[in-house]
Amino acid sequence: MTPEEWKGKLSAIKDSFSSLISEKKADYEALYQRFLGRKGELSLLLRDLKDITAEERKNLGMLGNAAKQELLSAAEKIKAAAAAHSAKAAPQIDITLPGINFPKGSLHPLTQTMDRISAAFLKLGFSLEDGPLVEDDWHCFEALNFPECHPARDMQDTFYVNAKDEKGKDKLLRTQTSTVQIRVMEKQNPPLRVFHPGRVFRNEAVDASHAFAFHQVEGLYVDKGVTMADLKWTVDAFMKDLFGSSVRTRFNPSYFPFVEPGAEVDMSCVFCKGQAEHCPVCKGTGWLELLGSGMVHPNVLRACGHDPEIWSGFAFGCGIERFAMLLYGISDMRMFFENDFRLLEQVR
Amino acid sequence: MKIAYSWLCEYLENPPAADELIAKMNRIGLKVEGTEKTGPQFTGVVAAKILAIEQHPNADKLHIVTVDHGSGTQKLVCGAQNIAVGQTVPLARLGAKLPGGTLKKAKIRGVESEGMLCSCSELGVPGDPSGILMLPSETPLGTDVLTLYPKGELVMEVEILPNQGHVLSHYALARELSIFYGYKLKEPKGLEPGNAGSAGLKVQIHAADLCRRYVAIAMRNARNAITPDWMAERLSAIGVNPKGNVLVDGSNYVMFELGQPLHCFDADCLKDGTDGKEINVRRAAAGEKFIALDKQEYGLSQEMLVIADSEKPAAIAGVMGGLNSAVSEKTENIIIEAACFDQASVRRTSKALSLKSDSSYRFERGTDPEMAMRAALRFAALIKQAAPSAEITALIDSYAQPYKAKAVKVSAASLNRILGTQVSNETVYECLHAFQPDLPQGNGEWLFMPPSFRPDMLKNCDIAEELARFIGYDAIPSESNMPMIKSAIAPDYAVAANLRYCFAVLGFNEIYNHGFLSAKEAEACGVKPEDCLQVINPLSSDLQYLRPSLVAGALRTFAFNMNHDRDHAHIFEIGTVYRKDGTEEMRCCGLVYGAPNESSWAMKVPASSFYALKGALASFLGRKPGFRYEKPQKAPSYYEQGLCLEMKVGRDSLGFMGQLSASACKIMDVKESNVYYFELSIPVLAAMWKKEFWQEVHKMKPVSAFPSSWRDLSFTIDEKHEWAAIEKAFGGVKDLAKVKLTDVFKGKNVPAGQRSLTVRFVFSSMEKTLTDEEISSRLKGVLEKLERKFGAKLRE
Repeated sequence: MTPEEWKGKLSAIKDSFSSLISEKKADYEALYQRFLGRKGELSLLLRDLKDITAEERKNLGMLGNAAKQELLSAAEKIKAAAAAHSAKAAPQIDITLPGINFPKGSLHPLTQTMDRISAAFLKLGFSLEDGPLVEDDWHCFEALNFPECHPARDMQDTFYVNAKDEKGKDKLLRTQTSTVQIRVMEKQNPPLRVFHPGRVFRNEAVDASHAFAFHQVEGLYVDKGVTMADLKWTVDAFMKDLFGSSVRTRFNPSYFPFVEPGAEVDMSCVFCKGQAEHCPVCKGTGWLELLGSGMVHPNVLRACGHDPEIWSGFAFGCGIERFAMLLYGISDMRMFFENDFRLLEQVR
Repeated sequence: MKIAYSWLCEYLENPPAADELIAKMNRIGLKVEGTEKTGPQFTGVVAAKILAIEQHPNADKLHIVTVDHGSGTQKLVCGAQNIAVGQTVPLARLGAKLPGGTLKKAKIRGVESEGMLCSCSELGVPGDPSGILMLPSETPLGTDVLTLYPKGELVMEVEILPNQGHVLSHYALARELSIFYGYKLKEPKGLEPGNAGSAGLKVQIHAADLCRRYVAIAMRNARNAITPDWMAERLSAIGVNPKGNVLVDGSNYVMFELGQPLHCFDADCLKDGTDGKEINVRRAAAGEKFIALDKQEYGLSQEMLVIADSEKPAAIAGVMGGLNSAVSEKTENIIIEAACFDQASVRRTSKALSLKSDSSYRFERGTDPEMAMRAALRFAALIKQAAPSAEITALIDSYAQPYKAKAVKVSAASLNRILGTQVSNETVYECLHAFQPDLPQGNGEWLFMPPSFRPDMLKNCDIAEELARFIGYDAIPSESNMPMIKSAIAPDYAVAANLRYCFAVLGFNEIYNHGFLSAKEAEACGVKPEDCLQVINPLSSDLQYLRPSLVAGALRTFAFNMNHDRDHAHIFEIGTVYRKDGTEEMRCCGLVYGAPNESSWAMKVPASSFYALKGALASFLGRKPGFRYEKPQKAPSYYEQGLCLEMKVGRDSLGFMGQLSASACKIMDVKESNVYYFELSIPVLAAMWKKEFWQEVHKMKPVSAFPSSWRDLSFTIDEKHEWAAIEKAFGGVKDLAKVKLTDVFKGKNVPAGQRSLTVRFVFSSMEKTLTDEEISSRLKGVLEKLERKFGAKLRE
């Protein structure tokens, strides 16, 4: 066989293959056997190459193998299509039936909120510190610059318990997480950057916006040369971490005995972007009052044995429930201790 | 605190408009929480006379009324029954703004109505709401009806923080605005004291530590001092009920004007001493009784300060006057008191007696000793205005140590260092100068003398806050070059967070309980109420005890949800428990009942059992090397006896798990049985945690490249042998990779008192594929041991 004759045969095989495969009833098995099987036309033709000169054989071999691949892949497509077609005919299941339940737990909305807040603090280099709920007057008030007979103490109605502190005074349930400022500063020397999320207690009648047990978080930074500008930057970064970088913060004068100057911090309303006159969250003011903050009072540093001439610091904090209520659209604080599964399961 | 806008403006030259004022107040931390307008709010209503009344053609109860409103006549439809020709009535013209809305032209039953005659309620004014309001017949037609009523006030509710004792009056607020915004202040006028001496009046301060200054002014002929309307209106606007007698209303008025609490004694009710009237500022005698103006009797104690005549107390200093010396319409001669009492003392007394007043509120927050005389003379002036025959007969000012400012060394640099600002020397001076008008210019450093009304300006930080208010908090930059710092998490919190995620993944819902218990709930925790930490001042007896265990809360939550259409619960809580000595511990508890999730059409989910909880806990506690369950020596009593295990690692006890006792469930109104529970200590768990995470990580052991082989053995064994003991017999067998209990069976073909256990033994060698013979020989030892130790018999 001359190379030309061989090429002619190859082209004839390709033609007849393509005319067969374009038929509607094209069948993979039949096509395969006729062209590609052990005794198929193409296989036989390739075997004929042995009679052709070595130099020609290489060229023709390449042509032949390319043709084989081409035919094979065309035949495979027919097979796949046929397989898909026959699967469709197989018995069907109702795939719209509901899936089978797997156990799914949930974290309490306060945990979820606290976790987010904690993450924001940790990113800014604040360490999470621990502190007791049963406290003494010193850590809850005295060292925090709440003088004994000062109306500042009226800000926080206190529960007392029937255990005595070292001075023989009744211990109490802490009214604020600021106690941990004192705990930390008593045992560590600055510089320190810490925060503490936890439960606090107030002897107050319960309603939709008051609870006798609730949660706060508070951050403290003490170092050399800490300024109110540092505080503003940190609080702004903290709020942007939680609510997105378009959020703005605003500081207004306020009073907390353990800071001076003191400030409360408003966040621009993320819910209406300050655009809705009747925004149910910010009441159309465009601002949400969220945090308390200020520069650590020299009396507080001194109470913990640190020289306010050398060290300065800032503190800021907020109520966790307030955040959670904003985030989850909760209008009644009592929900948090109700543990109604129908609510808890909505916030997995 | 309520502040009337027009009243405040009285003390400012060129006062700002209300909106601007509010913004300016907010900026310096005097937060206006809300505003309200007092008095009628309507516009466009004029006096009109009824000229004619005709029947409405299409309605029995309506009339067509013709009225004259001074500049013409008009017709309108009216349904009221009390109208008659000739009456003068309020006519709301088109466009009038009434509390109910704006009046528009309307067709009523086919007749056009171009106005409305108004009732009291339609105008929002007091009076009989039925029928049209009748105006005095002499009212000129066309008069704006609004002018017939007292002018409304814009009243602001200002939030007062505990450190704002210096802004507790209209004048003081105006003064604050003048300091921060440069308004010129207008001073209220007091009465010239003339040359009144002290004849017939004596003031003795026996407790100088509690009373810094005492001003007493005696006046005579103060009878029939009727409160003028303007004063009554202002007091009403800020929510104080005027009494009509200026001796009472005036003292209130001056307190809200100047911030100085005043008292007025009926001098004729005070018992004379040897030289006439005597005012004794002294501590109360122990057990002394006193009837205050509120007609309640109070038992006084020695640390309380009273104002007494020569015999008995006439007032509790700074808190409340006495009924026995109260002024009345018959009062002729008075003694005015304006004093400066000790903050802490007034607060202690007010707290001890549970008696608060506007006076005690101000004294607690500190009053300006320099204001006492001014306020007393201002009150005297108001009395004289109302009763011109009144005159001062004696005036005493007992003020042993007049106010002397404590100098504070201030520098612009130190203030800027606190605020992180670069405020210029000039601006700092401007701010300080506003507080201390005689402050010398200085060059970036000053000896600042705080004014008498600001004794709280003690330190640079206090002055920094004033500077911040002066420049505005917005002017402080938001910038930082805080160094990077490594952060860490306290171990208990890290462990708690870990547990939370483990339980949530296992399908538990997290719950939060407040931790306050009733005596009954304390019992459910297996602790006698008297052995719990107790709240001395609980909100109610149901909230008296602090939880010694989390179990009561878990059961409470469980019961609540079972009563709300639930049939299963898998819950956990991380919370603090309390001991009687005031110490505490963070714990983690969990409760399971029923299936871990809802059954579906395809699969019924079996209820969780004792073993399910045991397995769930082991699934992550088991990662601690050495973790095991043990039968407890002593278990908490809320577990069913014999159905409780202790969780241990080494010698440490993590806590217990088991089935809750019927009695604990009953206490908490839980009807279900088969409720399983655990509680473990977080600090104990945290103490086991290695300091660094990589020390916690388990090293991997290599696995065999050869296939493993397994054999199942079923044997019968006496029921008295526990699995824990049987399992031990499999120790030390070569190449035994795993032992798995696959079946426990009692009944058919198993002798009574015995059970059949099926155990799968999995063998795996690192060196080769084990042959049948090798496996059989290894198992032989196991079988012999089972037979010898437990009398187990292999089943065919």
